[in-house]
Amino acid sequence: MNAPPLLPEKVPTPEQTLRRLFLTLFLRGRSSRGLKKSHAPTSIGNKLALTLIFYALFGCMAFMFTGQPVFVLSAYLSGMTFAFLGMFVAASAGEILFNKEEADILMHRPVTPKVLLWSKIRVLVEVSLWLGGAFNLVGVAVGGFSKSGDWRYPLVHAISVVMEALFCTGGVVLVYQLCLRWFGRERLDGLMTTMQVLVAIGAMAGSQILPRIMFRVGNSLTLDESTWWLTLLPPAWFAGLDDAVAGTGQTRSWQFAALAFGMTALVLWLAFGRLANSYATGLRSLNESVSPSRKEAGRRRWLSALVQMPPLSWWLREPVSRASFLLTAAYMLRDRDVKLRLYPGLAPMLVMPFVFMLQGVGGQGAGGLAGFGIAISGAYLGMAPLMGLNLLQYSQQWQAADIFRCAPMAGPAPLCHGARRAVLLILTLPLALVFGGVALLIRHNLSELFLLLPGLVALPVYALIPSRLGRSVPLSVPTEEAKSAGRGLWMMLAMFTSMGLGGLALVAQHKGWFWWFLLAETAVAAVVYTVMRRTLDRLRWTPAE
Amino acid sequence: MITVTNLTKCFGAQTAVDRLSFEIPAGQIVGFLGPNGAGKSTTLKMLTGMIEPTSGAATIAGFDLLKDPVEVKRHVGFVPDSGAVFESLTGLEYLEMVAALYGIPAHAAQARIKQFITFFDLSFETLTDKLLGAYSKGMRRKVVITSALLHNPPVVFFDEPLDGLDANAAVGFKTLIQTLAREGKTIVYSSHILDVVERVCHRIIIIDKGRLLLDGKPDELVASHQSGTLEKLFTQLTGGGELERRAEDFAKTFRA
Repeated sequence: MNAPPLLPEKVPTPEQTLRRLFLTLFLRGRSSRGLKKSHAPTSIGNKLALTLIFYALFGCMAFMFTGQPVFVLSAYLSGMTFAFLGMFVAASAGEILFNKEEADILMHRPVTPKVLLWSKIRVLVEVSLWLGGAFNLVGVAVGGFSKSGDWRYPLVHAISVVMEALFCTGGVVLVYQLCLRWFGRERLDGLMTTMQVLVAIGAMAGSQILPRIMFRVGNSLTLDESTWWLTLLPPAWFAGLDDAVAGTGQTRSWQFAALAFGMTALVLWLAFGRLANSYATGLRSLNESVSPSRKEAGRRRWLSALVQMPPLSWWLREPVSRASFLLTAAYMLRDRDVKLRLYPGLAPMLVMPFVFMLQGVGGQGAGGLAGFGIAISGAYLGMAPLMGLNLLQYSQQWQAADIFRCAPMAGPAPLCHGARRAVLLILTLPLALVFGGVALLIRHNLSELFLLLPGLVALPVYALIPSRLGRSVPLSVPTEEAKSAGRGLWMMLAMFTSMGLGGLALVAQHKGWFWWFLLAETAVAAVVYTVMRRTLDRLRWTPAE
Repeated sequence: MITVTNLTKCFGAQTAVDRLSFEIPAGQIVGFLGPNGAGKSTTLKMLTGMIEPTSGAATIAGFDLLKDPVEVKRHVGFVPDSGAVFESLTGLEYLEMVAALYGIPAHAAQARIKQFITFFDLSFETLTDKLLGAYSKGMRRKVVITSALLHNPPVVFFDEPLDGLDANAAVGFKTLIQTLAREGKTIVYSSHILDVVERVCHRIIIIDKGRLLLDGKPDELVASHQSGTLEKLFTQLTGGGELERRAEDFAKTFRA
């Protein structure tokens, strides 16, 4: 084996090589089951293109701010950009920054952790800019025609978007590094998963609530002492930058602009300069297999103990269902990949009832938006197990599900029952308590909670739908298939059905035949449930591919 | 070529590698053995700069592991037991990416890759058209071995390299490492397939619970312990002496 000949050929630097690698991996996905390059899992690439189109279309909402002051338009655009980018970076950062498999491939190559970090950050910022750019496309044009806006708006807003992308990426990386430094590698995964889930839910909630607030505030927003709280909101800093250069140019806007520059520089300095060494430590620790402490292992046994006690032991008498319950519950509570798909996946659905309830605050009686909010909360409770089970069929360890087919079971019914019960207990029950609590808090009227009932009656039927469609054998489908566009369709369908049911309940309540409606619904639900349950129990395994 | 002095790695209260010391000259194939959890992979990961030692020192190809880890990495090749690759790249894309990280120009890398695929009996079309996710375990292992040797390193660490390789490829691989050693490369070979180790390695190092148990030539060690085979010597040293009785006892539990 001879040494490679020295030719005057330009060799890409490690930075360029890695940047290209991480961008390819981002666009193609990390794992591939296709046979040929032409059949590469382009789903993420396609999905990204569709996402960009969706963002650009969603950005058309900026037309509604035509004639509004620059600060209001920019606060809306920046707020939404933060929500979208925050969601994207939070969801992608874990896999991109600390990928366990990648350690075995790259950590013994002659590359420094700093080069690795920069290459990854560049990809995150690049994709963030695509997303941010797509969303702000219309807003940039509208800004030029806004009240007090001028030709400088597109230019300064483009700078704002770039800074927002850097701020979001730097912020997430900084949080990772701080968690790593303060809590150590052992707790990082759990903490970051929780953090990512919360950021994704927060971003989703923000994206629903913010436009409504901005519409409501509109022209009445003033930048003086009475709005001191704006200083606490990063989107206001970047809106201030736009307003300072291409809007009113008032002192407060310049103060915000200075904050935007200062905080972005600070975050970047901390994330990529001061704390870059924590990243190297974190990367190295990916190779360290630390056995869990006894205390930690003990904490994990609480679930097994719980199913041994009534009432769960009565509900889970059948051993296969009990095993499936434990498996599903463990993944819902511990597995990072499952948690990142499940909870943010449900977030958009869960935010809607709150938005309706909040919008109806102060309204009289059970009618109106608040009543509708309570009614669709009930219907959404039914949707939660449907969506949850749909998302829980995907796992990175899907091949391990072969054991289900090897086990002496005629069909998947007991597994489906266990998974369904885990979702009902861990997801739906807490959700019911939260919806009920919020409804009570907002309306101060216990009697209005009856509007939740139509949804609760429909819940057992909804929860059986995934099983009937063969979609609730837990953790048995490769995660790549979760990226199909079909899921978005499911979500839409689920939301429309919920709204339909909520609307029907409200109409029935208005007409005075709510209880008759509930009785009829209960009868229909009981029949449908019995038929579906019997069919599921008779279901046999389909041949494995 | 490799000097290891009191190398130690602790994970919290647990000591995975405990003051390990040895030297390996150029041109030697060393079998690095130990039962599961003995600290073999941790040692290899420390020597390839993937994890930081808690204490101790090591020099590889004249470079200090702690002071100059990037130079050490430039001079070693490593085949990890996981056999991990980026599954959504084609074999060629993956190997070209690895070559670029070592500063090998694309033209030279392609020529080298062609030599390897001829040796491993892979088709160039497979390498260019198929994504690594669609490769069989053995094919993937061949790509990982190629990626470890692509930059012509003077020191190569193999962690279970034969895992997934078919019999022909395994025979070819054994001949390859023997030839590489004759050309002066230092090879550290970690495996549980003891008869292969016995046939291929000039020297074996056995560790258990992170500590060095034995270091010497396979035939001399077998003779001095009167164990007959390396397999028997290994079980004798690492507490596997009662394995047969335990297996019988376990099998009896299946009686109706």
